[in-house]
Amino acid sequence: MVATILSLRFVSMRHLLMREKWRQIILGAAVLWMLTLIPQVLWGYSALTRAEPTARNAALVTLGVFFALGWALVPVLIAGVDDTLDPRRFAPIGVKADRIMPGLLVAALITLPALFFTALWLTLSASWFASGPVTGAIAILGALIQTVSLVALGRLGASWAERIFANRLARNIAFAVSFFAIIAFAYFAWQTLAQGLESLFEADFDVAIGALEDTPLVSALAAAHAAEQGHWAVVAWRLGIALVWTGVLLLAWRANVVHALVTPLHRSGGTGPRTDTVVRAGRRMILLAPSDRVGPAGAVFARAARAWRSDPRYITGLTAVVLLPVVFVTVIVPVFDLDPRWTFAAPFVLATSVGWGRHNDVAYDSSALWLDIVAGRRGGDVMRGRFAAVLAWSLPLVVIGSLVVVGWAGYWSLAPAVVGTAVGALGTSLGIAAITSVVLPYRTPAPGENPFGAEVGSVGAGLLGQIVSSVATFAILPFVIVPCVLAVAVDARWGIVAAIGGLGFGVAGYVFGLLFAGRLYDARAGKLLAAVR
Amino acid sequence: MTEPVTVPAMSLRGLTKVYGSLRAADAIDLDIPTGSFYGVVGPNGAGKTTTLSMATGLLRPDAGTVHICGIDLWAQPDAAKPLLGVLPDGLRTFDRLTGSELISYAGRLRGLDPAVIEQRRDDLIATLDLAGAARVLVMDYSAGMAKKIALACALVHAPRVLVLDEPFEAVDPVSATAIRRILIDFVAGGGTVVMSSHVMALVERLCTHVAVVGAGRVLTAGTLDEVRGESELEARFVELVGDEREHRDLAWLRPS
Repeated sequence: MVATILSLRFVSMRHLLMREKWRQIILGAAVLWMLTLIPQVLWGYSALTRAEPTARNAALVTLGVFFALGWALVPVLIAGVDDTLDPRRFAPIGVKADRIMPGLLVAALITLPALFFTALWLTLSASWFASGPVTGAIAILGALIQTVSLVALGRLGASWAERIFANRLARNIAFAVSFFAIIAFAYFAWQTLAQGLESLFEADFDVAIGALEDTPLVSALAAAHAAEQGHWAVVAWRLGIALVWTGVLLLAWRANVVHALVTPLHRSGGTGPRTDTVVRAGRRMILLAPSDRVGPAGAVFARAARAWRSDPRYITGLTAVVLLPVVFVTVIVPVFDLDPRWTFAAPFVLATSVGWGRHNDVAYDSSALWLDIVAGRRGGDVMRGRFAAVLAWSLPLVVIGSLVVVGWAGYWSLAPAVVGTAVGALGTSLGIAAITSVVLPYRTPAPGENPFGAEVGSVGAGLLGQIVSSVATFAILPFVIVPCVLAVAVDARWGIVAAIGGLGFGVAGYVFGLLFAGRLYDARAGKLLAAVR
Repeated sequence: MTEPVTVPAMSLRGLTKVYGSLRAADAIDLDIPTGSFYGVVGPNGAGKTTTLSMATGLLRPDAGTVHICGIDLWAQPDAAKPLLGVLPDGLRTFDRLTGSELISYAGRLRGLDPAVIEQRRDDLIATLDLAGAARVLVMDYSAGMAKKIALACALVHAPRVLVLDEPFEAVDPVSATAIRRILIDFVAGGGTVVMSSHVMALVERLCTHVAVVGAGRVLTAGTLDEVRGESELEARFVELVGDEREHRDLAWLRPS
């Protein structure tokens, strides 16, 4: 069965490479990247060989923690790129989990990343031979155990993510937990880094390494250090917990495979709002023109607003754009002891991120596209309704964010400039995004799928869309931002220019962008569906 | 102004779509008379969905024209699309609205007054036996229920031409009866239905006209009697499409 599954994987991969050229490019780039790392790995091996055992251990343990986090998270973030051996594909054959598990494990171990990391760990761990052959042998054994546990961790992460995103309640809980975890991490990082990096390394680094050595994440890598010190009981303990950890991961993975074989993706029981909130929606939406409030744009607004409240793809995007400026203000500015006026950058970053993030807005709406297109020339209505739904949460957020940083920094006199500029950045970047989302749409995960996932076949088109929207945004934004920079750094009298100019640019960019995008939408209606479905 | 009776409800001329080396639709010519119940049949991959997508404004053709009641769809979509009601196959629907909200959404897109939408929405929900599901999100619908709610969206603006891609797929017999009744009444009232299907018995039972499509071309088209002649439609279909598969005796399949 192992040979059958391996051959299935290789044949599928060959067919995919022949069918979709972008995979060849990505594969070539990955191989090239790995080749470029060889000198660094060899340099690392050489440096570790010459290092003191304690420093060698600290380096390998630290590296091990980062790689473990990477192996846990990356398969979740790039789910969908390679689903050849998705256990659910074996369900119709009626095969038991235990028959396919060995094949799945071997196939997972001989992927390009797994092979690379195996070679990396073996090379770096071989530096322990400098402390004697027995220590070296234990290090190699530890490296092999570590590789298997990382691969199992990656598979487990991916399969759990799929289960979470397939269930609405679990998905919402996961998002809530993730959100608070990120906030807690940001606070912890702030508190830690605020004490200074040097004091952190001096006071806590050895303690942290000591604690990590006995965690299952990296204990296999730390066994060699104990061997070097002649603590054989500790060696047995560390290898033992690593083996148990790997066994637990493999069992959990098997449990997920068993679950996947008998559990097709399903829908939930079904609950919804009691009344029809669409038929008269949008009537009080001041961000829409009066004629739009009772027309199709009002309906599109209601639909898009529902998506912003309930679709994980949108909620993830909203969380991501808020996170960056929050981290900037709460972590970067205090840690690097920047002038408080640097915080004025946060609302611009927020506004630009919101705008740029909508550069593929039409594709996110793929499931509504056919209904909009068959209804007639509705491009203008669709764009106005959809972007009003973005403005409904982002405009208050940007304005309040601007006032908060201005108040925090104690420069109330600059409030009109900062608010005007941030609104300008929001309007222009949304206008640009409206156009690029129609001109260069690319496939995104469909509603209900992993919001982090890259849709198979979309990578090349996505890259082009992102580059073009980035270039356009950064070409126009200086016109909006420079007066504010002058007001902050040179002469406060520039503030009035920044305020009026920002608002003017924002409104004009937004209106023109949506107008143009609406016309393009109608002109390209017959091509959009094929581009995003 | 009264329209000449001779203007077809839908007229396709030289409709062509090419994907790489595959000619999914190869210069399709077809006239669909007003007031007809027109079946489009063909084997898998024949180009039915591609053709119907181009005929409804969902996919821009590489060449050719589409006229709806004499109006060029791709040149004058503002005038032509309001005449069409469309039920596509294989496309996801925005499923974060409830069934009743989705119908309302379709109605508002079509520019209907809210009071009119509410009345038609309630009528459609009752007729299509969706009352129990009207307040449930469409994402929680079964395939058959999703098909019915999409049909309701196609009907809410009272179009003159209905284009339905596999409308009975995954629909239960009771709902299928309701849908058949709606469509027959629609045609009796002067509307036109264009329907693709794989089920020959259904096409024979419902349709007044039929076109057989194969390899991106119209193999034959006309009234049901013209196309099937003396034989049954299925036999004529197999004859036209060709049954050239090798027939082997799968003796090993028989239980011993």
